[in-house]
Amino acid sequence: MKTNDTSRREFISATLLAGLAVTGCSSGKNPFEPDAATIETVKPSGEMIKLLSVDGEVIEVDKAFLKPVPSLPQVSNELARQGIPGKKFVMVIDLSRCKSLKKCQSACNHMHSIHPGQNWIKVYPQHEAEHTAPYWQPTTCMHCDEPPCVKVCPVDATFKRQDGIVLIDSDRCIGCRFCMAACPYSTRVFNWEDLDLPKEIADKPYSCETSVPQKKGTVGKCDFCPDMARKGELPHCVSACPNGVFMFGDMNEDVVTNGSETFRFSDLVRDKAGYRLMEDLGTKPSVYYLPPVNRNFPFENKEEKEETKKS
Amino acid sequence: MKKHSKIFFTAILLQLLAITAFSQAEKNNLSLSISYFNSNNHIQYLVAHAKSKIDGKFKMIPNINLSFYIGTEDAANLLGKAVTNDKGDALIFIPPNAKEEWKKSSKVSFVIVSQKTKEFDEAKGNVDITKAKIQIDTLADKKITATLLELKDTVWTPVKAVDVKFAIKRLDADLNVAETPTYATDSLGVASADFKRDSLPGDSKGNLTLIAKVEDNDSYGNLSSEKIVPWGKSIKYYTEFDKRTLFAKRGKSPIWLELLAYSIVIAVWGVLIYLIGQIKKMKKLGLN
Amino acid sequence: MESLAKEQIIKDLLPQKFGKAGKIWVGILLAFCTLGVIAYILQLKNGLVVTAMRDYVSWGIYISNFVFFVAISLVGSLITAVLRLTQAKWSTPLTRIAEIIAVSAITFASIIIVVDMGRPDRFYNLFIHGRLQSPIVWDVIVITTYFFVSILLLYFPLLPDMAIMMQRKDQTGMLWLNKLYAYLGKFWKNTAAQIHISEKAINILSITIIPVAFAIHTVTSWLFATTYRPGWDSTNFGAYFISGAFLVGAGAVVVAMFVFRKAYHLENYIKDDHFDKMGKVLVLLALLYLYFNVNEFLVPAFKMKKSEEEHLMGLFTGEFAYVFWFAISTAMLIPIFILIQKKGRKPLPAFIAGLLVVIGSWFKRYLIVTPTLLHPFLPMHDVPESYKHYFPTWQEWAIAMGSLAGALLVVTFFARIFPIIPIQETITEMEGHEMSHKNV
Repeated sequence: MKTNDTSRREFISATLLAGLAVTGCSSGKNPFEPDAATIETVKPSGEMIKLLSVDGEVIEVDKAFLKPVPSLPQVSNELARQGIPGKKFVMVIDLSRCKSLKKCQSACNHMHSIHPGQNWIKVYPQHEAEHTAPYWQPTTCMHCDEPPCVKVCPVDATFKRQDGIVLIDSDRCIGCRFCMAACPYSTRVFNWEDLDLPKEIADKPYSCETSVPQKKGTVGKCDFCPDMARKGELPHCVSACPNGVFMFGDMNEDVVTNGSETFRFSDLVRDKAGYRLMEDLGTKPSVYYLPPVNRNFPFENKEEKEETKKS
Repeated sequence: MKKHSKIFFTAILLQLLAITAFSQAEKNNLSLSISYFNSNNHIQYLVAHAKSKIDGKFKMIPNINLSFYIGTEDAANLLGKAVTNDKGDALIFIPPNAKEEWKKSSKVSFVIVSQKTKEFDEAKGNVDITKAKIQIDTLADKKITATLLELKDTVWTPVKAVDVKFAIKRLDADLNVAETPTYATDSLGVASADFKRDSLPGDSKGNLTLIAKVEDNDSYGNLSSEKIVPWGKSIKYYTEFDKRTLFAKRGKSPIWLELLAYSIVIAVWGVLIYLIGQIKKMKKLGLN
Repeated sequence: MESLAKEQIIKDLLPQKFGKAGKIWVGILLAFCTLGVIAYILQLKNGLVVTAMRDYVSWGIYISNFVFFVAISLVGSLITAVLRLTQAKWSTPLTRIAEIIAVSAITFASIIIVVDMGRPDRFYNLFIHGRLQSPIVWDVIVITTYFFVSILLLYFPLLPDMAIMMQRKDQTGMLWLNKLYAYLGKFWKNTAAQIHISEKAINILSITIIPVAFAIHTVTSWLFATTYRPGWDSTNFGAYFISGAFLVGAGAVVVAMFVFRKAYHLENYIKDDHFDKMGKVLVLLALLYLYFNVNEFLVPAFKMKKSEEEHLMGLFTGEFAYVFWFAISTAMLIPIFILIQKKGRKPLPAFIAGLLVVIGSWFKRYLIVTPTLLHPFLPMHDVPESYKHYFPTWQEWAIAMGSLAGALLVVTFFARIFPIIPIQETITEMEGHEMSHKNV
């Protein structure tokens, strides 16, 4: 990033955004002419860039239609509050695959520059009763469809989007912590002190979609990485898990994936008897759990003999 | 004699090990790989990947400056530069200045060179690809076919016995169209599969995007071709967003709450304002 | 004879300069306030990290102090409104004490809630982005309303007294005080029309303040009861809070009565009979609060739902048992025992009982807020060890104590500036009394 990056920057800035629509001088005779119907509903940016096609022709492509996406500008606060139309994000966590490696946690902490010691993803050693089986239970924000935290926020700092994601606007949060009291899943954390962030992160304008940089005196939590979803990529915890515990997808597409395996969401949850946490509270979480049956690993609690109380 | 030579070789081997261990202590080896992508037989791009074995484990290396070349490592053949991201990946599209080099032959090679850093020496990586195309098509009864052709001299020739993956495009995922994920091409370069994902939600018109892919092929790289078909279930998704609920944004609270709250506030403050009026009245009475 | 009595009343009740004890008292309070301000400056600089609050116990003694203040402020409506409307004439000398306690408590309730905010610099967001769905916004609305109602209820009965004080410039002393009286009440001429308006206004206010007072404390209880947490998730909470608030407020009035009586030699105005009557009121309120406590704890304890069990056992026999039983006995059991006896309702024992009620109630508020937060639905996990406990830091204590001192300071200064017992009303009542005697 330091030296001779001008060409790269120019190049990347010339190749922003997603899609695949081509105009220009490709010869009409080509039997492999791309199907016009593949044009996605992305708004053209009006800025054309020149590329070399597979046929060796020089083509002009609207930069909004290029895929994969090299980088994306931050969306405005207004757009971030509305969410991605037509999507309903959902996560499936397969408890039978978790052995508490916590790669999800470290990836999440790193990507969001979370205060050391605090975690947005927690991996609980669950042991509900004497004779029941212990298991690891990772929790993210549940992104409830009837979020108790959003209900109580006095200033619209935390909000529910049309794609189901619950986010926090750290530029608006007044730090009353009512949302933390309201959340039954204890997923919210508070920035009690100044975060010792590297300057390039601390100086970034806050974005609700990246939740970076976290700010003193405000609440933070798992955000389902909507900035990644906008790029068509998976949240950091999903791609970090080597055991494929986390699966992420769009309920409206009825598919979830952990990167290497892809399942039809409805089949998966039906066949493996998926459930949600604390269904009786009526919060309607967007995170589904697959029960810890036929486990890939035995339960070994290497952490210090910790009380695994459940209150 | 034999014994001697054995000792001799062992000594040399030890020496070599010592040297490599020494140099490794200073700098780790950076290993670069490069993948070629051809998307819909139109747009092509390269993804470079930087990794290194550190403490016995491969790690992705971010922030490596890479130069991409077509053909040979020659300033004239420079395609562009990019820096690896957190996953160790760097992406570049093929610019028009590569036209001549690209058109020269049916086979093309790409080279990447990394810039020396504090942790790593300069490293190189390359890939040779044979120009190829894949085209997806559909037949009656929800049958999907794909034709794979490679460029031999100047003639597009069918390729046989290459695995083609058929899938439905999803958010950063490919959902197989049936139980079997891949299908081999026959002597005509054609592979085919049956679509078995009934009532999978599509868009509002029930459209799904099918994709045929050749992945990580030694000769052809990554090829893909897409087609939109109306085989999905059309869905109308419902969202509570912007409805009047307790968890909606400001100004979208339920009517009963607004009525209740505002009527109470107006009633009480009406009384208070009336009383302030009474104070004014008393003032008038007193000061006149 | 009659005019002499009137002069005597005025002489007795005019605000007096601080004596030696008064000056020491003010000095101590100012010292506490200064310490609180210093602690708050540290908190502003370093963030809420200077407190012992962490992700699990995200509300600590600031919030319990807030609840305490809101509770104590309810007394204004009890003494002034309820007793006035029920024609309990004996309460007249107590109304102003109750009202000023209410005003200063509600003021410091709002201050302490700002202290608890992570971003007090964004307080204005409550007005430009306020969401009607949030109980915090309801609380902001009702607290503001209650503050204004209380101020008005303090102001109207003060008007005739200010006229009296302006006539006695020589006795009240400082010039700026007279300017203040003139600014606030120069227009009061004691005409029949003015008296009529004022009396009507006080009646309207007495009625208005009751629902508003119920609203502030009910809404405050909803800050807790609208969550799912064991110990807070209760339909009983509004009534439970209000009964507790009436109790602590009445206790505070008894304490203030005793102190003012001693400090200003008001034995002829705040009589033993007042302590007797307030003592009875306290017993009634303590029994009422006890009743709600039984409901609040016995019913869930009978079922012992898993989520409630740790919370309840922590209170009954666990880590909070000492505080819990201390609070229950000092706020309710011991005061009831003292005040149920006739000699227990003499000024000194009643004062002690009142003090016990106030102290016990403060700890009761602490128990309402903190133990619940230490027993979340999912066990406390993946946090540093220090996040799993809560004991307030010196900064929190300093700020909490500073705010209590500040509230007392407001009451003290008010008594310096205005007559703490309504002069005009006392005179009127005295005259009315004599008239009825004459008629007999």
